[in-house]
Amino acid sequence: MSNVITVEPADYMTVAMARIIQDGERIFHGVASPIPAVAIQLAKKLHAKNAVYLSIAGYVDAVPSQFSHTSTAGAHLGEGAVSEFLLSDIFDLSARGELDVAFLGGAQIDQYGRINLSAIGSFANPKVRLPGGAGSAALLPTVKRAILWKTTHDKRSFVDKLDVITAAGNTAYVITPLAIFKRGNQGKLQLYSIFPYSSFDEVVEHTGFPIEKHDHFHKFHPITEQEFTILQEIDKNNTRFSEFR
Amino acid sequence: MSKLSSIQDAVQSIENGALLALGGNALHRSPIAFVLELIRQEKKDLSLIKTAGALDVDLLALSKSIRSVYAGYIGFEMLGLAQNYRKGVQNGEITVYEHACASVIAALRASIYGVSFQPINGFDGSSLPELTGLIKWISCPFTNKKTAVVAALKPDVTIIHTNIADEKGNAYIDGSVYEDLIMVKAARRTIITTEKVISSTEWKEKPQIPGFLVERVVHAEKGAAPGSCAPLYTIDDHEVHSYLKNPKKYLERKVAVSHV
Repeated sequence: MSNVITVEPADYMTVAMARIIQDGERIFHGVASPIPAVAIQLAKKLHAKNAVYLSIAGYVDAVPSQFSHTSTAGAHLGEGAVSEFLLSDIFDLSARGELDVAFLGGAQIDQYGRINLSAIGSFANPKVRLPGGAGSAALLPTVKRAILWKTTHDKRSFVDKLDVITAAGNTAYVITPLAIFKRGNQGKLQLYSIFPYSSFDEVVEHTGFPIEKHDHFHKFHPITEQEFTILQEIDKNNTRFSEFR
Repeated sequence: MSKLSSIQDAVQSIENGALLALGGNALHRSPIAFVLELIRQEKKDLSLIKTAGALDVDLLALSKSIRSVYAGYIGFEMLGLAQNYRKGVQNGEITVYEHACASVIAALRASIYGVSFQPINGFDGSSLPELTGLIKWISCPFTNKKTAVVAALKPDVTIIHTNIADEKGNAYIDGSVYEDLIMVKAARRTIITTEKVISSTEWKEKPQIPGFLVERVVHAEKGAAPGSCAPLYTIDDHEVHSYLKNPKKYLERKVAVSHV
């Protein structure tokens, strides 16, 4: 298949997210989330037609005709939606245990799937003040499954110790340009899958915490022609690459 | 009596040190024209409430107008960090009261309900409660369950940008309403900026914001630009990039002349 199409890390990350989404699940993404936004549409066109898409725009099951390279919080993510469901409603849904999946990011991620989006250095006297965790401190402990992603995989991002614990909780998967981690024994992230161009050693080399293999560790199953065709249709203007700078 | 006001008079009513809630989300429908007038009038020591802020907060950080920020997220999404906000915090000029977006909403709801705090499910395992002091853990008086509570936030003034408003303060948002209605209900007073002013006899839409909660209405066409105001205009990427490239130059250009 690789002689037919050129597949980039952003494609693998998007398809990996889509495959994790199950039919009928209620799914949320927030600001700065182009890969999840595309992945949700991809899953809904493939195996998860009854998944419920929720976003900051405040609508249910939008089918955006295009995505923005700048933002995933705009009213364009209401296109094709039938009903309203505001961000405050989404937080309430998660608070009462009825949100299935939230896509969340982290400037730093540790081996327990906890995240730092607050500061590098100390919180009170930061070396770098980060944007803040957005919804994560409320969502991560209450959503059924959080899927984290990060478009850089290095020792500055995947750390032994977070500078600040912005949020902790129900991280189920972490998706990077190299690999997929899955939460396993004792709540620790384990290496679940690696993308075809990546290797176990490469992941170890670029990760700041000890790597254990998950019981079902495997090479990522190649992206199918159907997945890739639909992915390109959904994301015509290639917004899934906009987090790679 | 008509509530129509010039942007200059509306901003003159803001006191230095005021706690302001700004509507919109990230680069969408935030009251940028109002923010620029705050800067022209050299307002100081403001505190801001946002769920997710971007250019609005960064402009006020650049002009050294803010003392503290209560928010879940301040950044330009895929365009990167809010550099002036970041520097202001790192220099110790701005105090960050980092919330989750959900706890900003809960804190505003406490004010809506007329109580001083609001229980919220979340924050287990997070260091934010300890670091900010905004979230405390109590034992539920009915079940003894450990429960997070957040202190009320009552904006002195909420400022939101809307698509249409009338002279009585009734206002309509087309497109995403975000947390604007919550911010209006929680505030001591509300100022509306709006793309279009109509007479209260002309409504075809049903305004979500009732005039009795609104103190002033300011006609501000393109009042959210270079952010979006759906469905009228989208983010002006060129202008946002010119800001990010040279914020000071952008601000000098915008502060020199009011387009409103």
